[in-house]
Amino acid sequence: MDKFFYFINQTGFANIEVSGLVMMVIGLFLLYLGIAKKYEPLLLVPISFGILLVNFPLSPLMAQPENGQPGGLLHYLYLGIELGIYPPLIFMGIGALTDFSPLISNPKTLLLGAAAQAGIFATFLAMLALGFTDLESAAISIIGGADGPTAIYLSSQMAPHLLGAISVAAYSYMALVPVIQPPVMRLLTTKKERMIEMRELRETSKRERILFPVIVILVTGFFLPTALPLLGMLMLGNLFRECGVTDRLSKAAQNELNNIIVIFLGLTVGAKCSAYYFLTVETIQILVFGLVAFIVGTATGVLMGKIMCRATGGKVNPLIGAAGVSAVPMSARVCQTVGQKDNPSNFLLMFAMGPNVGGVIGSAVAAGIFLAVL
Amino acid sequence: MKGIEAVLYYDGPAMAVLGISVVFMALIVLAVIISGLHRALFFWDNKKLYFNKACLMFSSPEKTPEPAAPGPYFDDIHESARQINLLVHAIGEPFSLPRLIRRAENIGISHAHSTVSHLIVNNLIVPDRKGYFLWNQQACDRLLRQSKENR
Repeated sequence: MDKFFYFINQTGFANIEVSGLVMMVIGLFLLYLGIAKKYEPLLLVPISFGILLVNFPLSPLMAQPENGQPGGLLHYLYLGIELGIYPPLIFMGIGALTDFSPLISNPKTLLLGAAAQAGIFATFLAMLALGFTDLESAAISIIGGADGPTAIYLSSQMAPHLLGAISVAAYSYMALVPVIQPPVMRLLTTKKERMIEMRELRETSKRERILFPVIVILVTGFFLPTALPLLGMLMLGNLFRECGVTDRLSKAAQNELNNIIVIFLGLTVGAKCSAYYFLTVETIQILVFGLVAFIVGTATGVLMGKIMCRATGGKVNPLIGAAGVSAVPMSARVCQTVGQKDNPSNFLLMFAMGPNVGGVIGSAVAAGIFLAVL
Repeated sequence: MKGIEAVLYYDGPAMAVLGISVVFMALIVLAVIISGLHRALFFWDNKKLYFNKACLMFSSPEKTPEPAAPGPYFDDIHESARQINLLVHAIGEPFSLPRLIRRAENIGISHAHSTVSHLIVNNLIVPDRKGYFLWNQQACDRLLRQSKENR
């Protein structure tokens, strides 16, 4: 009989906690968004499943090793985040997948990528005012860059206890780009500005595309060595893609390696969303101010677009400034959609890809600044 | 600690100003370098031409041999087409004629005005109907093919 009661005590039913159940409901909801609504499914599905797995009562998946017993599977996989391994490897995959030609042929769009990072620093101040420490504020504010791997990298280095909430917020807002950005874009631009057609981009040579990652690394490496883990891997992936002699490596970085890391990253980020860390007032503040950071970033990008529009005598459509937040390629697509509503013959996608990939570089630089100074 | 007190305690304003300044500075430096990249590559490709021009500039006037009397400027339309084609690749399309001529003069193409005018007459440079001009690559290829066959 003792054995029976012991077994009953070891079941999940006997150890149910309300907070754990709430987290499981949140996990199931995110799973629904990922599968049914297709919101960033490649990340939301493993993240939400990770949330489910660790919130079962007595779940051993994140258990620490003790008394000579090994720890849980996700505990070991989580080392990839804790040691800052997964986000740079994801960046390598992004680099191998990204064509930087629109940026190379129109380099002034890098300024739009820079302006859109203003949301990060504005939110940094707001989070300090709310009572977060400087490290926590930096980790939360980077959500404004709309760059999942950067947000995860920075929070794993600066505020690991907020990692779950920050990554869920970052990926949720990236998925909600088509909902969040258009009202801000319309609010800050006139119909005449939205209708501006931009001149065709020049074609870039192969040599330019090969030299680009090398130049980026030489410049940022000296400027900000702390940005090298992210930018270095981003540019290495892009060099694999462009140099023409490492096709196999490029394909591996784009597919096999990227997919494996996405699974590990998603699962372990989800695993960090235990009720103890997630169901707090801080999480709500992170979700709210992550959204604020994202909106401010979009707004400053559009405002910089307006300045460039004036400076060039109406040759730049200010809508592409919204793509300066680095949700690649979602925000570039949003620029295309919003622009085409007012002018159906307008094709802004390629022009918006310039600030979009500029935003990836900009948010990695912003993360590097926090890592260097704080 | 909350509010302004916390912001000032952590030196928030300085951090925010420093952060956005460094982001802008890094990306502006990158933008400047990248925008000059294709020009630098063009210069590298035509370094002999620039080198010769530089030699001419630094050589003393009395030592400079009398230039041969110019023949018809567009005798060698194939060579002109090849040079202007390279130039058009560097400045991108569509381009304005004044800009093309200015750049052609800068890199030492002789009689740039007449050369460009001759290329327009021969349909190698065609208007894009928006006030700019485009390079007619097909006509250029045809011309270069003919040149090879004649040789």
